[in-house]
Amino acid sequence: MRYLITAAVTLFAALAGPGARAGEKAEAILDQHVLPGMRLLAERTADLDATAQVDCAPKSEDLRAAYGAAFDAWISVSHLRFGPAETDTRGFALAFWPDTRSMTPKTLRAMIAAADPAVDTPESFATVSVAGRGFYALEYLLYDPAFTSDETADYSCRLVRAIAVDIARNAAALEADWRQSYADKMRHPSAEGPYQSEEEVLQEFFKALVTDLEVDADMRLGRPMGQIDKPRPTRAEVRRSGRSLRHVVLSLTALRQLSDLLSADDAGLSTRMDKDFDYALSRADKLSDDPALAGVATPQGRIRIESLQQAIRAVRADANQFMGPTLGVAAGFNSLDGD
Amino acid sequence: MTSRRGFLAGLLATGVAPAATWADVGAPAYLSAAQGADGAYYLLGVGPEGGIRFRQKIPGRGHAAAAHPQRAEAVGFARRPGTFAFVLDCLSGDTVAELSSPEGRHFYGHGVFSRDGALLFTAENDYDNARGVIGVWDVRAGYVRTGEFDSQGVGPHDVRLMPDGETLVVANGGIETHPDSGRTKLNIPVMQPNLTYLRQNGSVLETVELAPALHMNSIRHLDLRADGLVGFAMQWQGGQGTLPPILGVHQRGAAPRLFGADPEVAGQMNGYGGSVSFSGDGRHLAVSSPRGARVQVFDVASGALAQVLEMEDVCGLGAAPAGFLASAGTGQVAMLEADGRHPLGTADVRWDNHLVPLHT
Repeated sequence: MRYLITAAVTLFAALAGPGARAGEKAEAILDQHVLPGMRLLAERTADLDATAQVDCAPKSEDLRAAYGAAFDAWISVSHLRFGPAETDTRGFALAFWPDTRSMTPKTLRAMIAAADPAVDTPESFATVSVAGRGFYALEYLLYDPAFTSDETADYSCRLVRAIAVDIARNAAALEADWRQSYADKMRHPSAEGPYQSEEEVLQEFFKALVTDLEVDADMRLGRPMGQIDKPRPTRAEVRRSGRSLRHVVLSLTALRQLSDLLSADDAGLSTRMDKDFDYALSRADKLSDDPALAGVATPQGRIRIESLQQAIRAVRADANQFMGPTLGVAAGFNSLDGD
Repeated sequence: MTSRRGFLAGLLATGVAPAATWADVGAPAYLSAAQGADGAYYLLGVGPEGGIRFRQKIPGRGHAAAAHPQRAEAVGFARRPGTFAFVLDCLSGDTVAELSSPEGRHFYGHGVFSRDGALLFTAENDYDNARGVIGVWDVRAGYVRTGEFDSQGVGPHDVRLMPDGETLVVANGGIETHPDSGRTKLNIPVMQPNLTYLRQNGSVLETVELAPALHMNSIRHLDLRADGLVGFAMQWQGGQGTLPPILGVHQRGAAPRLFGADPEVAGQMNGYGGSVSFSGDGRHLAVSSPRGARVQVFDVASGALAQVLEMEDVCGLGAAPAGFLASAGTGQVAMLEADGRHPLGTADVRWDNHLVPLHT
């Protein structure tokens, strides 16, 4: 009998399904996750800009601290790559990665060699290739010995400041767009807007969740892991600043909050996802002595990184299998998995 | 009684047998990969009316296939980033050859035979160098790899033989991937897709790019008209904010023309073109979008939208005398004609992305 009741309750919940609380969930995601994250990004990048104008020396502790805090804020919202992040290629201008053809160092070197005057105004710097802008370009200038020598210090200083201004301006525009316009479009779906129903709004957030889990497992970890006989430690994201593992943890932490908000009305699902995230974060904890993921090149290190990768894939598999259906994500044979 | 199959096998053993022709396997008009109700994957021959003419099991989920011009022999490719392809005798179901991509390469899922059937060309990824290549295989020698040449772009996807029987046309989708990071896209902000015409020795005849603002529009799938007009379907990688057209045509030496630029028309397709096909009479060009659950049909001469047909999870498209044949992941097959969609029933399979035409 007990089982029958459970079945009936489950069925009822499924029928009540996405519609009933979709609006509340979307509001909560916007108010507790998106807008605070964007506000923090705008504040921290403004700090970075102000700090760089005072002290542009690559080894400046203040500058490096401001850079790290701003980058943290970006990684915590970097899964929100739709809407405002797509406008004016803001997302790519803030974060050009991966860089499979070393376009970032090439662009920076060319600018330094030519003492490119594009650094003189924010407007002209905004026309520079996205490969020469944003957090990843700044990492070279602050942490790569090839870029921190004294010979070109004067121009490099102007370049650091130009990148910091550009980051702050892009982040401010991104935050303003969310606050003044895009959040409302998600709160009030309509036939004329980008979202026609609350389900579509939640599906957008769900897509952001599973896509970024894939970025963590396949790009942040998969690229440096390479093949077992051909590890690629120099492919680790932001290894120069030793932030590689930190980005995975920041991403998982942000995605966990998003996952909680998406499954707020389903205790069973919420518990399952929490358990998955806890396990993945516990695997990351075990890597705390390997911040740049250099361990991919050693058998022991590799096993630990692989176990984190598998744990993240398990989060994603459960999100697809158990959360997707509650949000009305249809698993079309062709529509889901294009080619 | 000697069965026909036994008789043929006997002849094959003597080495004097004419190999089975497409007529021997029910004269299909198309090949398609699919998943059966049993969960297994199949390569199917599809008749011009949408019926299944033959069904042969394959080792994993397929994408597209290449049909030998005479023999009932098909090359099935594993989905990208597969390193494996197999040559199927469509009469017996036997695998008559297996192809492994060379070290450092994987298949993209499309390939095409030379007109005489002596060579097979396969779209491949030289992934450590982020370079597209066309692999060349000697069919008569038993599908032996004999060489490769540059596809002149990143991420070559569909490849076809032009009606002149000589020129290859390649859709270089522009998207860089590497097996180490699965199917994640590595170069979206700097991708540069193109359409390239090549001789069979790899020399370049013509390369066509779209306007810079469309550099995130991945050119992926092709269909050809008898006069050499190339229809191409694209997949937009620039987000859902402003959706561009996903369909175009190109004639050698001329500028490409894009169809469906009207924001409302483009918006229906979610920026995703699945398959492209000319109609049987060549006057119309259709593009399917499983994500938009629609097929749009355009008048080729004027570029005007002629028809929109809704169909859940539709992807496969092929030419039919009075329009198009369409297949969907739901198993549905339909004929699309001027007066609308005519359902031809639902097969017990989930049709995969493409209906590959057999030009026999």
